[in-house]
Amino acid sequence: MIKKELILQNPLRFIGNETEDILPEGDFGAVLARAGVGKTALLVQLALHTLLKGKYVLHISLDDPVNKISLWYKEVFRHLTKSYDAKEINKLWEDLLPHRFIMTFKVEGFSVPKLEERLTDLKEQNIFSPQMVLIDGFHFNETARASLSDLKRLAKNHWLHVWFAVKTHRHEKSGPDGIPAPILDVSDLFDIIIQLQPEGKKIHVITLKGEPGGSDRPALFLDPATMLLKDNI
Amino acid sequence: MQLLCTVFIHPEKQKNTITMKNAINKVRNIGISAHIDSGKTTLTERILFFTKRIHAIHDVKGKDGVGATMDSMELEKERGITIASAATYCEWLGHEINIIDTPGHIDFTIEVERSLRVLDGAILVLCAVGGVQSQSITVDQQMKRYKVPCIAFVNKCDRSGANPFRVIDQLKEKLVHNAVALQIPIGLEADLEGVVDLISMKAVYFFGANGEDVRIEDIPQDLLGEAIQRREKLMDAASMFSDELTEAILEEQEVTEQMIISAVRRGTLTRQMTPVFMGSAYKNKGVQPLLDSVTKLLPCPSDVENEALDMDNDETPVTLTSELEKPFVALAFKLEEGQYGQLTYIRVYQGSLSKGDAIVNVRNGKKIKVGRVVRMHADQMEDIETIPAGYIGALFGIDCASGDTFVSPGLNLTMTSMFVPDPVISLAIVPKDNTSQINMSKALNRFSKEDPTFRTYVDDETKETIIEGMGELHLEVYVERMHREYTANVTTGKPRVAYRETITRKAEFDYIHKKQTGGAGQYGRVAGYMEPVTGTEFIFENKIVGGKIPTQFIASCEKGFRQSIIKGPKMEFPVTGIKVVINDGASHSIDSSEMAFMAAARGAFREGYFRAGPVIHEPIMKVVVETPSEFQGVVMGLLNQRRGIIVGSQDEGPLCVVEARVPLAEMFGFSTVLRSSTQGKAQFTMELGSYKQVPESIADELAKKAETEKKGK
Repeated sequence: MIKKELILQNPLRFIGNETEDILPEGDFGAVLARAGVGKTALLVQLALHTLLKGKYVLHISLDDPVNKISLWYKEVFRHLTKSYDAKEINKLWEDLLPHRFIMTFKVEGFSVPKLEERLTDLKEQNIFSPQMVLIDGFHFNETARASLSDLKRLAKNHWLHVWFAVKTHRHEKSGPDGIPAPILDVSDLFDIIIQLQPEGKKIHVITLKGEPGGSDRPALFLDPATMLLKDNI
Repeated sequence: MQLLCTVFIHPEKQKNTITMKNAINKVRNIGISAHIDSGKTTLTERILFFTKRIHAIHDVKGKDGVGATMDSMELEKERGITIASAATYCEWLGHEINIIDTPGHIDFTIEVERSLRVLDGAILVLCAVGGVQSQSITVDQQMKRYKVPCIAFVNKCDRSGANPFRVIDQLKEKLVHNAVALQIPIGLEADLEGVVDLISMKAVYFFGANGEDVRIEDIPQDLLGEAIQRREKLMDAASMFSDELTEAILEEQEVTEQMIISAVRRGTLTRQMTPVFMGSAYKNKGVQPLLDSVTKLLPCPSDVENEALDMDNDETPVTLTSELEKPFVALAFKLEEGQYGQLTYIRVYQGSLSKGDAIVNVRNGKKIKVGRVVRMHADQMEDIETIPAGYIGALFGIDCASGDTFVSPGLNLTMTSMFVPDPVISLAIVPKDNTSQINMSKALNRFSKEDPTFRTYVDDETKETIIEGMGELHLEVYVERMHREYTANVTTGKPRVAYRETITRKAEFDYIHKKQTGGAGQYGRVAGYMEPVTGTEFIFENKIVGGKIPTQFIASCEKGFRQSIIKGPKMEFPVTGIKVVINDGASHSIDSSEMAFMAAARGAFREGYFRAGPVIHEPIMKVVVETPSEFQGVVMGLLNQRRGIIVGSQDEGPLCVVEARVPLAEMFGFSTVLRSSTQGKAQFTMELGSYKQVPESIADELAKKAETEKKGK
C-alpha cells in the first residue's frame, strides 16, 4: 500500500519520458549542479523510486564511503515516509535494502573494465543484478568520452539505466544550448540532462535535454529543507 | 667510537624519582604491534635487556623453560603469542618508556582496542622475509582508527631471504604508508653486521655477547653510494614537513641532524610519514638505535589529544590536558589477578594520583581510597608515590572492571562510552570434577570483570553454567584460558544464538485461575490486552478501576507477567518489545492471594500471546571483511551464501572492504572458511547490528530442533 502511494505521489513522474522508467534501458541521464546543491539527494530519490518498484539499484560513488551513502538513503527515505506508521516504514526499509548495493572506488581506481568485472562477478554468483546504476563523482575530463562510450556499451549489454551526478563550476561557461561545460563535449551520449539551479531560497529543477514537452507539466523544485522533489512550494 | 648511555636506577631509590622527573615530554607510552611470529616479543625482551630492566635474555619458545618476560600467561608462552597486554616500564636516554604489549590477534579485539586507547605511539614490527602479512594489515587498520603514530622496524634481517626494501615497498603498496628508510643494513642475512644511520651518515655496529657494545664508525666505502642515494630520498620526504629544512636544502646551507629529526617527527606525528628502521632483535642488532628513535620521533603524552565524555552533558566530548593541577581522570585498561590480589592498570590522562587519594569510579559512583600505587614490569612490581598525567601505573586491591574511569570526586567524565552491547551467543559449560568447578568459578568471576561483554549465569532448569559473549571466537578464547590459567577442565555444549521472541499485533486476554480441590483455594481473574512496542523490552500498565483487582494484588500481576517474558511461550526465548495493559479482573475474598494472581497473570499472558502473532527475532551482525581486491568476489559469495545482505563494497587500492548484514546463526565457523578461501589474507570484524525477524522456513527449523531437544531431555 505505502509503496504504491509513495510511487504515485512522487513528482519524479514529471521528469523525462512518460514511460514507467524515466530513462530507457542503455540510456544515460545526468543531474548537474554546483557543489552542495543537491545532486546526490536527487539521485537517491531516483534510486528510491526505482527500489520501490521492486527493481535493483547499484550506487557507485567515487567520493564518499559506503556509510555516508547509506546515510543519504536513510535520510531521504525518512523524509519521504514521514507521514506513515513507523513500524510499517521499518518493514518497507528492510524490504528495500537487499535491492540496493553500494560500491565505492577511489577516483583513480575506477575504470569501466573493473566495473564490468565486478558486475559480472555479482551477476554470475547470483548475488546482485542491477537494473539501474548511479555514478556519483565521475570525472568529466578529456578522457571521459572513451570511458563513457565503454560504459554505454556495458549499459546496453546489461540492460541498465545509468544516472550520473555531475558537478558544475561557477566559472565555467555553458554551451549555446545551455548545457554546462563538464558534459558539453559528451552531451550527445546523454538522453536526459537535468540541472539544479538555486535561486533565492528555491532550487529549480530544470530539464535541459530530453523533456517530452507539454505545458501541463508543473515546474519542479527541490525543497531546501528536506532536499525532496516538490511540484509546488 | 661512542657509547650510547643508559640510565638504571635501583628500585630502592626509585620511590621518589617519578615525581621528580615528570617532565612530560620525556615520557613515551608505546605499543609494539605486529604479525604473530614477526618477533614482537623478542624485540620487547631485547628492549628490556638494553634498558637494564632484565639481566638475562630468554627466547619466546625458550629451551630454558622460562620464556620471554612479557608473555606472562601460560597460554601465550605455549603458543608463542601474546594475548593479554601486560604493561611494562623502562628508561632510555633519560626518557621513561612504558611498553604496552598489544595482542596481535584479531580474536582479542577488546584487549587490542583498549591497549590502543592508552598508547600514544607504536612500533610496527615487520618480518624482513615475510613482509607485510595479513595480520600487519589488521593491526595497521586498528592503529589508523585510533590515529596512533608509528615507526616501523623491519626485524629478522639476519634470516635468509631478508629484504628490508621489499618490505618498505609493501608498506607503501599494501598499507599505503609513506614509508621512508632512515637506515640501510650493513650486510644482510647471515652477514648482517649493523646499520647505516642516514641522518648522521654513520655506520652503527653492535659488538659484545649481547650486542650491548654499540660502536659508531664511518660508512663502509661500498655502501656510501647507496647511503647517499637513500639519504636524498629521506630528505625529499622530510622536507615536506619543514620549511626550514626545505630552505636549507634549496639554499644549500648546512642541514643539521636536528632539522631532519624534527621534520621527520612532524611527519610521523600526523601519520603522514612512517620512518623505517631495521635490524634483528634476535641477533641483537639495531635495537638501540630503534630505542633512540622512540625518544626522538614518537609523541609524548602532551602531543596527543585525549577526549573524555561528559556524563552530565549527554556524553559530549571534553578535551583533557595533561596538567597536574587539574582534577584527576584515569582509565583502568587492564586487570590482572596476581598472587597478591587484583592489580588494576591505569593510564592517567589528567591531574595526578598519589597514595592515600580518594577517587571515584564513574561507572558505579563508588568512592575509593587508594592504598598502594605501583609500577609494573611484566609480573614484578615496584611501589611508587604518585602517578602523574601521561603515565601508566597500577593500583592494588581496587575492586573495579576493565574500562572503568576513575576521577576526582565531583567530576563526572568517562573515558569510554557506557554502552555495553548485550551478548549474542551463549554456550553451556560443564566442569569435569570438583576442583575444576572451583577453578571455573574463579575464572568466570575474573573474566566477567575484565570484559563487560562476557557474562555468565546458571540456568535454573538445567543447572548448567552458561557463558555469553559477542561471538564464537570470543567464547572459545575464554574457554581456552580457563583450561590454561585456571586448570579448569570444562566441556562445552553447542553455541546457541540469543534469539528473542516478540509479538506483531494487539491481542486481548481474559483468564481465570481457579483451583478449589482441597485445602486453601486459589482464585484470580485477569483481563486486558497486550501490544507490540518498539525501543523497550517490557511495559506494564494498570488501568483497573473500581478495585476489580484489589490494589495489593496488582504487583503480583506484574510479577506474573514479568516471569512469563523470561521464557517466551513460543520457543522459550526471552520476550521483548511488549506492552501489557490490564483493565479488568475479579477476586475472591478468601481464595484470592498473591500466588493466585501471579498464576492468573501467567495464564493470561499465554492466552494473549498466541493470539498476538508471536515471531522469533534473531541477531543480525554487521560484518566487515577486509580482503585483497582479488578475493572480493569470493568474499561476497561467502557472505551471500550465509543469508547475508551485502550493503556495499569499498575499494581502497589494493584492499577491498565488504560490508554486509548477516544473521549470527550463519556465522559459525566463518573465520575458518574465510581464511581457507582467501589464503588467510582476509580479515573480518563483526558486531551486533540489530534484531530482525527470522524467515518462516528457518523459524520452522528452529521449532523442530527445539522439539527434538525437549524430547531428548
